Amino acid sequence: MSRSSVSAMNWEARFKSDTPTLIQSGKNGKSRTGALALDSDNEDQDITMASASESNSARARPVSVAPELYIQDDESPLSQLTKHWMNERHAPDILPAQEELLASLLDHIRRQSEAVQLLRGEPSASEEEHIRIMLVQMEVERVKFIVRSYVRTRLFKIEKFARFIMTDATIQTRITTAERAHASRHAHLTDRHFHNSVLQSLPETQSHLDDTPIFMPPMITKPDETRPVFVHALRDCPPIRFHE
Amino acid sequence: MSLPQSLRTSVTPPELELIASQQLIEIIPLIAVEKTAFISGAFGPLQPPRKAQIPLWMAINLKLKKKCHIVAPEWLSVEFLQSRLDEEINEPGFSKLPFRYAEVSKLLLDVAPDDIQSTDKIRYLLKDLREARQAKSREGVDQINRGELSLSNLCSMEINEIRPFFVHAMGILTHLHRDASAEDQP
Repeated sequence: MSRSSVSAMNWEARFKSDTPTLIQSGKNGKSRTGALALDSDNEDQDITMASASESNSARARPVSVAPELYIQDDESPLSQLTKHWMNERHAPDILPAQEELLASLLDHIRRQSEAVQLLRGEPSASEEEHIRIMLVQMEVERVKFIVRSYVRTRLFKIEKFARFIMTDATIQTRITTAERAHASRHAHLTDRHFHNSVLQSLPETQSHLDDTPIFMPPMITKPDETRPVFVHALRDCPPIRFHE
Repeated sequence: MSLPQSLRTSVTPPELELIASQQLIEIIPLIAVEKTAFISGAFGPLQPPRKAQIPLWMAINLKLKKKCHIVAPEWLSVEFLQSRLDEEINEPGFSKLPFRYAEVSKLLLDVAPDDIQSTDKIRYLLKDLREARQAKSREGVDQINRGELSLSNLCSMEINEIRPFFVHAMGILTHLHRDASAEDQP
C-alpha cells in the first residue's frame, strides 16, 4: 500500500485554518480536508493540517506531488531545511535527500563564521559591534544544530534499514551517494559480524540473514509504510480523499 | 547511536521552542545596530525608539541584556485569551490560536514579563485554555479508527503531546484490521 504523504505539510505556523489531521497512511479512503497532497511515493510526513472534516470513504488516487513543490520559493533555505528536518523526524521512511539545500546552507554557515572571525580581530569594535557579532554567531550555532539533527536522523534510518536499502532500488533514489556507501558498508559489517560470531556455527538452513520463515516477521528491517502520520495543511483546500 | 532513543518517537518541546523562536516579533530597541545579514535573512537596522521586526530568539537575547523591549503580540492579551477560552468551553471544536502559541507565550512570559500587561491573569488563562483543550484531545481518543481523524486548530505542542499515543494506537488498529481481512480471504 502506498504511504501517503502529504506534502505541503508543514508545521509552519499559519494562524489560519490549521487543522492537524491524523491520517492512516495509505489505507482506507476517507476524506480529509485541507491536506494538500498525498504522494504515494514519498514518505509520510507528520503534521499536516487539514481543515474540515467529513469522512466519507471515497476514491481518489492520491495525487503524486513531491513535497518540495509545496515549499514556496520565497522561503529562506533555513526555513525549508527546518521543514525537511521535522518531516524527516516524523516520517517512518527515508525522505528524498536535500543535497543542494544542505550544501548551500553549509556554505552560508562557513561564510558567516569567517566573517565573525574577521570582525573579532578588530580591537576597536564598539559594544554594538559586539552584539552584532554575538547574534551572528548565535545564529550559526542554531543552524548547525538543525543541520546536525537532520543529518543524524537520516543516518539513524539508514543504519536501521541498511540491509533493506541494499536490496531496494527505489529507496536508493532518495539517498545521496555518500549515504548509499555508508549503508552498504554498514550492512556488510553487520553481516560479517553476525556471521563470524554466530551464524557460521549454525546448520546451513539457518545460517542466513534473509530467511523469510512463515509466521515470523521478515529478517530485513523495512520502513513501516502503514504507520499513520500527522499532516498539516498550510492553506485551505478541498477535502482530500484516500484511495483504499 | 545516531539518534538517541528519546528522540525517535517525537520531537521534544525544546526543539519546538527552537523552531518557534524563528518567528518574527516586534521590538523597541534600546541600542542602535546596523543592518546585519543573517542566515535567515537581513535584519535591522535597529534605531531607537523605532520599532523593528526581528526573530524571537534575537529579541530574547537582546531582552536578557536589557537592550530592547518586546512588543507583546496581539493575541497575548487578557481580552483575546478570554474570548478564546469562552469559545473553548462553549464550542465543541478547538478554538483558533496561533499554531505555536504555547511555545511563544512561554518564552515571552519567562523572559519579558515586564513587557506584558497583567501577566498573572494571562498565565491563568493559558493554563485554563490548555486544560480545556487537553480534555478535548483526550476525547479524540474515542474517535481513533484506522482511517483518519481530523483535529482542526490543534497547535504544535498539542500535536506533539498526543502524537506518540495516537500513532501507536492507529497502527495497532490497522494491524488488527489487516489480520482480520487476511483471514477472510483464504
